[in-house]
Amino acid sequence: MKTISLYVDKGTMLNKIAPESKIWYVIAAITIPALMGTRWAGIVLIAVSAALLLYGKVLKRTLPLLAVSGFVLLTVLIIQGMFWWGNETPLFALGPAVFYREGVNYALGILINIINILMSFCVLILTTKPSDMMENFVRRGFSPRFGYVFISVFQIIPQMTETMSTITDAQRSRGMETEGSLAVRIKAFIPLIAPVIMSSLINTKERALALEVRGFNSRKKKTFLNDEVKTAGDRYIQIALPVLIIAAAVWRVTQWLA
Amino acid sequence: MASLNIEHLKYKYPGTDRLALNDISLSIETGEFIGIIGRNESGKSSLCQAIAGLIPNFYKGAYGGKVLIDDIEVKKVPVDELCETVGTVFQNPFNQVTGAKATVYEEIAFGLENMGVPKEEMIRRIDRAMELLDISKYRDRYPFDLSGGQMQRMAIAGVIAMHPQVIILDEPTSQLDPQGREEVFQAVQKLCGQGITIILVEHNMEKIAQYSNRVALLDAGTLIDFDTPQKIFSRVDLEQYGVEAPVYTQIGKRLNLTIEDTGCYPVTLEEAKTVLLRKGGNDPVWL
Ligand SMILES: Nc1ncnc2c1ncn2[C@@H]1O[C@H](COP(=O)(O)OP(=O)(O)O)[C@@H](O)[C@H]1O
Ligand SMILES: [Mg+2]
Repeated sequence: MKTISLYVDKGTMLNKIAPESKIWYVIAAITIPALMGTRWAGIVLIAVSAALLLYGKVLKRTLPLLAVSGFVLLTVLIIQGMFWWGNETPLFALGPAVFYREGVNYALGILINIINILMSFCVLILTTKPSDMMENFVRRGFSPRFGYVFISVFQIIPQMTETMSTITDAQRSRGMETEGSLAVRIKAFIPLIAPVIMSSLINTKERALALEVRGFNSRKKKTFLNDEVKTAGDRYIQIALPVLIIAAAVWRVTQWLA
Repeated sequence: MASLNIEHLKYKYPGTDRLALNDISLSIETGEFIGIIGRNESGKSSLCQAIAGLIPNFYKGAYGGKVLIDDIEVKKVPVDELCETVGTVFQNPFNQVTGAKATVYEEIAFGLENMGVPKEEMIRRIDRAMELLDISKYRDRYPFDLSGGQMQRMAIAGVIAMHPQVIILDEPTSQLDPQGREEVFQAVQKLCGQGITIILVEHNMEKIAQYSNRVALLDAGTLIDFDTPQKIFSRVDLEQYGVEAPVYTQIGKRLNLTIEDTGCYPVTLEEAKTVLLRKGGNDPVWL
């Protein structure tokens, strides 16, 4: 099964609760530390996300995503650690490169924010079937056309890439250069891309017609084969999280006034 | 009274100056298996699209005449409602996978969801459609993982789940290997046995001869002839329309062997056998 989706069904509660609840979690995880303006709030939420991911049996799948962003994070740490404008107190030196306490501290703040955002999104993305999420939106009055576009790209793009490589292979087997120097490859590129564009135009038309004759533009009220993904607890989650966000804002205001 | 009537149908695509369909009239009975043949660009797909209402409701252009299914005039019904009367299956099975569903089962539900069919009814119809097309065993498979023949049968299942009276299939097997092609033909014949009217475009004349009750021969947008496969393939001017008769008919023509009661040449293996046996006795030495 080739899709871009990162979702895997591990059969845990996290797979069963409503996607909206998890979206609220993402919103809360991002806004609460921002509202409170304290670093420990971010750290607590990273811990919560990690616990959720562990519970959802997808913590391992988070690691490669963190590793990809790790490179960017490392760059932030190095640049800010060495060159931040407020740097005063040397912390340590790696050969000629001196890292300063203030810059490293500043970078850590950024790191915590980014990791927090990434991990809370992982809670949503790794445990939610995209089509379930979209279906729930459509049930709430969201446009089915938009929902379709959103979902189908996950499936159709990998399939199109495959078609593309099939065509590339076919061209190569007819003796066309798809490797070699830049000039050779550019020359090879034009006759290669033409059939790809042609076939995708024809395919797009046929796909549009095929959707049309299956009532895609019907104005009737849609029904759903699958039951709505939700649990009894979702109502409370969807009340508790907004309340927590408001509480964080209130806390911040009282801090100001005090 | 026939269930599908086409009366003086004329159609021109926007921005062209040639009639893609030129005064076509024909009547089709409920449950018939109709083959449509003719050279490339002769108007086969256009005729299909006119019956499915895509002409003139998806493709605009100049339109004249009528297509009636029972007493419904297809032009007057929006495409998304007409799909409960006439279903359409396209050439490339891959392009008919919606890409929005994770299993074959859900994929077949797509049209029913759009039509607002209640869930229990939906489940009943999907199960029945999968059974008819012999794809129940792929129920939980990922749609894109099926073979061409299986995928095309899934597409047909998605269409018949909407309970149309007529199904149009425009070269449904041209992208399939011989096995996939045979699977699809068997399935379509089964649907025809259920009383669904079949209209099918196909380039393989052996298949047309084997399965059709009647054949429509088109050329340059004109209906040249509409008759039994025997009559159509026995025409002496067939090649003029870019159509090559089934190999059995060609043998019949070469050897001047005709079926006694109709005077036509044989079009299938079975008919060829009968004619040859009659001619050569029970042990035709030259068979
Ligand atoms: N979308 C279109 N726009 C303009 N002309 C078209 C279009 N589709 C088909 N035609 C023209 O209509 C005629 C009939 O084509 P078509 O019905 O596709 O034939 P067939 O299916 O027998 O190959 C051809 O001359 C073709 O060029
Ligand atoms: Mg065609």
